[in-house]
Amino acid sequence: MRLRNGIAYAFLAPYLLIFATFWLWPIISSFLISFQNTRVNPWRFAPSLNWGRLVGDPAFYNALYNTLIILVIQVPVMIALATVMAVLLNSPLLKARPLYRFAFFAPVVVGEVAYAAVFRLMFSIDFGIVNKLLGTVGISAISWFDNATAAMALVIIAVTWRWAGYNAIIILAGLQSVPGDVYEAATLDRVSKVQQFFHITLPLLRPIILFCVVLSVIGTMQLFTEPFLITNRGGPGGGTETLGLLLYRQGFNSLNFGYASAIAYTIAALAVAISLLNLFFGRQAK
Amino acid sequence: MAGLTLTNVVKRFGALQVVHGANLEIADGEFVVFVGPSGCGKSTLLRMIAGLEDVSGGEIAIDGTVVNDVEPAERRIAMVFQSYALYPHMTVRRNLSFGLQMNGNPKEDTERRIAHAADILQINELMDRRPAQLSGGQRQRVAIGRAIVREPQVFLFDEPLSNLDAELRVQMRVEISKLHKQLGTTMIYVTHDQTEAMTLADKIVVLRAGRIEQVGAPLDLYDDPANQFVAGFVGSPKMNFLKGRVEAVGGGSITVSLIADPSVRLTMPVNSMPAEGTPVTLGIRPEHFTDAGAGNADLKVAVDVAEHLGHTSYIYASVADEALIIERPETRHSGHRQDFTVGLPARRCFLFDADGQRLR
Ligand SMILES: Nc1ncnc2c1ncn2[C@@H]1O[C@H](COP(=O)(O)OP(=O)(O)O)[C@@H](O)[C@H]1O
Ligand SMILES: [Mg+2]
Repeated sequence: MRLRNGIAYAFLAPYLLIFATFWLWPIISSFLISFQNTRVNPWRFAPSLNWGRLVGDPAFYNALYNTLIILVIQVPVMIALATVMAVLLNSPLLKARPLYRFAFFAPVVVGEVAYAAVFRLMFSIDFGIVNKLLGTVGISAISWFDNATAAMALVIIAVTWRWAGYNAIIILAGLQSVPGDVYEAATLDRVSKVQQFFHITLPLLRPIILFCVVLSVIGTMQLFTEPFLITNRGGPGGGTETLGLLLYRQGFNSLNFGYASAIAYTIAALAVAISLLNLFFGRQAK
Repeated sequence: MAGLTLTNVVKRFGALQVVHGANLEIADGEFVVFVGPSGCGKSTLLRMIAGLEDVSGGEIAIDGTVVNDVEPAERRIAMVFQSYALYPHMTVRRNLSFGLQMNGNPKEDTERRIAHAADILQINELMDRRPAQLSGGQRQRVAIGRAIVREPQVFLFDEPLSNLDAELRVQMRVEISKLHKQLGTTMIYVTHDQTEAMTLADKIVVLRAGRIEQVGAPLDLYDDPANQFVAGFVGSPKMNFLKGRVEAVGGGSITVSLIADPSVRLTMPVNSMPAEGTPVTLGIRPEHFTDAGAGNADLKVAVDVAEHLGHTSYIYASVADEALIIERPETRHSGHRQDFTVGLPARRCFLFDADGQRLR
């Protein structure tokens, strides 16, 4: 038995080694770094420097505010959209289902830079198709990249476009695990399709939707790509700067790794806290 | 409550036709059992009556009204599914009340119906549990309860007992029978188990490959099967079939001999006269063999295995290459490969032609 275990660990060793070096150690190390003054050479232990700065930093509060606004608007909208997409995908009336499934999932595998470039083109003030379409219904051109509110909306639209299909596929799997004869029984019970959705489908999907919400919360807390690539590094003037961007700016522009580490831990702690709240209230609502 | 009429009902799935023109009359309050081997179209027929499947051809009428284009919800039919199909996230009480509540049934009336169903099915203690916290038998009761509270015109059951263990199956069978007596509502019950069919039905509908083979009271099917399929399907253990040929014809009766033992000859009255030498099949139920010498011919068989159940014994035997099951009361006969002689009473034997049709 012991010999067997030994062999098993020998096979696992390469992975464990890489895991320890590139996962575990950076996590521990960044925690330690967050307590150091990294703007002097060599770094010095200064436990309250970074954390103290964080508490009073307007840039941090701006980034936190932006991140939470995106979170509060984008996650519910996207999950609702994903649920509707999943229900449509699951409809027996739908033809060419695999095609739609692929189409919904495709945004996830499209390269980020390519997708950002396309969005920048589509939302360009002068020749973007979005403003053209808005023009046809009488809405004057919106300068998506220069107006902070519009830029936030753009980030939310982009993130939703990229991840709604992904969540829809997960929710679809949940839908397909509900046995069809439950719906048949409901039909014979004279329960309408709409009632079936709200009283059977949604309650049965609750754990899956909760899972998607938690995943999305974690993802949005780390949001980086869209504000970096689409709205010009958090522009205009920090209007879409998220915690992820602030971390990047502090760490890799200013090379202040101590402060960046403190931000990183704050992001992680907030993501965990919000997810736990979700799970708590999601379970309770039963 | 209502009767049903099926007229030339056809079901196709794409190019595949699975029900080939079913005609059936079901009286108000009757307990009808659809029985047949797996895949013969029992569920499909039931689901068409419920409205869960479209009818490809012909007409289904409930209480004199053609319902082909009536929504399932409007047919006043309740169905009990093989898988129970309970709402997994609802308590038993809510499972029973859900449909009524969604349709704005008055609260007091819903309460009354639930109390009534719970009393009938003795599920009062289970009302606050969820389906996952119930045993198979309890779930089945709840599923039946959900049907009862609907107060439907017709109950449909699709193999409701096949997920239960043998003992529970017998118990629930009796309860369903009681329920029918109590409610007096028309019930249509699907099973592949001929014992269930024999014990429950007022009227059995035997199906094979999408066709109705015979309709009749259980004992009518037992005593007077229309063809070899029905003869083999009804009765347990199965009827024995032995190959034979027509030896002599005349005077309203024919004489047949067994291929396995040409010295065994039986003379039986028939209406249609096959030619001499025609191959036929002789059928006899295991319980209808007699003691040697007491029948119209004796048959010597080699015993393979004997099962003694006390009051009766099943003897698995063979004659030439043909296998037989013989049921004899109070026999202590055992002994592998021993010879055993039984009597064949001609009046208990059936004759079938090469197509399996009964020669009467
Ligand atoms: N939705 C369907 N699509 C295609 N074929 C089906 C469908 N449902 C049933 N069938 C076919 O119809 C035949 C009868 O099925 P069913 O009524 O379920 O049989 P039973 O209930 O007697 O076992 C089977 O051959 C089955 O494969
Ligand atoms: Mg079936």
